Amino acid sequence: MLRAATFAARFLPLCNGQLDMPFRRTLLIAPPLAVVLLLGVAPLVLVLVWSFWTWDPATYWIKPEPSLAGYGAILDAGRWTVIVSTLAKSLGAALLCTMLAYPLAYAIHVMSGPRVQMLLLALITIPFFTSYLIRSFSWRLVLGRTGAINETLQALHITSAPLDWLLFSNFAVMIGFIASYLPFAVFPLLLSMRRVPPELMAAARDLGAGFWHAVFTVLVPLTYAGLFAGFLFVFVMVAGSSTEVQMLGGAGASIVSIMINDVMRVANYPLAFAISVIMLVTIFGMVLIGNAFFKLSSLFGEEAE
Amino acid sequence: MTVNEGAINRLLIWTLAVLALIVIYAPPLYLVAISFNASLQPGLPGPSDLTLRWYAALPKETALMNALWQSLFIALCTAILATLLSLLAALAYFEIKRARSIWFLVMVLPMFVPGVIEGLALSAIFTHSGVKSSATTVIAGHLLWAMPFAFIVILTSFAAVKPSYLMAANDLGASRWRQFSDIILPLIRPGLVSGFIFAFLLSLNEFTRAFYLSGRQNTLPVVLFGKMNSGASPVIYAISGAILILSILVVAGVVQLASRTRTS
Repeated sequence: MLRAATFAARFLPLCNGQLDMPFRRTLLIAPPLAVVLLLGVAPLVLVLVWSFWTWDPATYWIKPEPSLAGYGAILDAGRWTVIVSTLAKSLGAALLCTMLAYPLAYAIHVMSGPRVQMLLLALITIPFFTSYLIRSFSWRLVLGRTGAINETLQALHITSAPLDWLLFSNFAVMIGFIASYLPFAVFPLLLSMRRVPPELMAAARDLGAGFWHAVFTVLVPLTYAGLFAGFLFVFVMVAGSSTEVQMLGGAGASIVSIMINDVMRVANYPLAFAISVIMLVTIFGMVLIGNAFFKLSSLFGEEAE
Repeated sequence: MTVNEGAINRLLIWTLAVLALIVIYAPPLYLVAISFNASLQPGLPGPSDLTLRWYAALPKETALMNALWQSLFIALCTAILATLLSLLAALAYFEIKRARSIWFLVMVLPMFVPGVIEGLALSAIFTHSGVKSSATTVIAGHLLWAMPFAFIVILTSFAAVKPSYLMAANDLGASRWRQFSDIILPLIRPGLVSGFIFAFLLSLNEFTRAFYLSGRQNTLPVVLFGKMNSGASPVIYAISGAILILSILVVAGVVQLASRTRTS
């Protein structure tokens, strides 16, 4: 890999100083920008355009006749309720995750010695890179009728029959969301806590503020950016998620991603695209508004200046 | 930071922190434990039930093995491309002064596009421009998923490159290329390695985009998804367990590497 990196690097600054700055900048920017534009932006723009086209039963594709049928179909058959319930689930999961992430981030950043801190940081990093599919699936083994929790409850004679609401329910889905996306809320919090001068909390305590008073008047306001970024990350991940509901949701459970899957099974492209557009507008709207209030980039790169 | 929280508050915070970690880790670890159980019924193995037979049976599962090789190939290509492109993007980040925040956003935004929508959009374009689904189409989708993470990791690793180093090198007459190869590259090497490994794992485990974009040969998560829903079996626990253990060990290794270079 490093050889590959040096290989690319040899091509990149062919610019031994004799290349002027704007040209070098273009060489650096062009390849990643091309990937983002061609693979990321262009398809989404096409989806936006195609969502206003007409379904053509002859070709099982769409034809360029302007139509709002896709958007109209969202109002049919209660599809809009799935969108609303998806946003509600995202909101709930994002609130629960930020609330649980704050004490965890505080424990990692403030209350741990270097060794424990290392261990906890590793434990928070690992979930990003393990399979969401397998992790959701593993909850089935814990929550199922013959799963670990029901077996334990019955063995201890706390319940006489398996609890059915544990698995394939909204409860299971919410647990799955928290387990999957909690680390997304912890990391921004850690980054923003690192920017709080350590003396501030100690000073507040010395001057007589109770612990919680100091937390809510000093630490929390100084970590709003981290709190918001964490909330946003979880919200967006849940809004676009599908595996948790597929693995843990009940018979009628749905979420936008699954609805798109179902719509695509009958190749109703305009409807699938219209739903996608509404979700993208919501998500990007939140990200851009959030970024305007709290510069998200300041959480990551600025240290290197 | 030394703050006097008080004993009860400390206990409360640690309880919540540990609870959060249990929610994240208990079920996957339970699955790993089950995968060593000789019994066909899922459950914690007693010391006498421990077995590796389900793992030993894995190589004979040709459908899973073919999917695994496909996934490994796709992950390798994705990781190489994501690392190279992120390196360029991070270098560009420090070249541009005013539009930094926008550049950061451009590089990170693909992370926020839901997998289903990205998979659907890409597959619609590929099918209607005559591109057949294959490993390449999956790599295209995975690149968008993995690159933002690799970019953030590599960008953060630039913290090791103090501007004064480069200014000194510049004063001493080092060309831009020498500054890059002799100063920047060695300093950000841990970031490049982490970025590469993270991109690899993200691609290896990605399911939703691959579901839309893979061709005749499905990737491992897509095959696993089908098998999980058509009735669980010990073989599924074993392959899931193997992937979990491998991912955990690799990430733990990367984190250790990163912290060691930070302290030294």
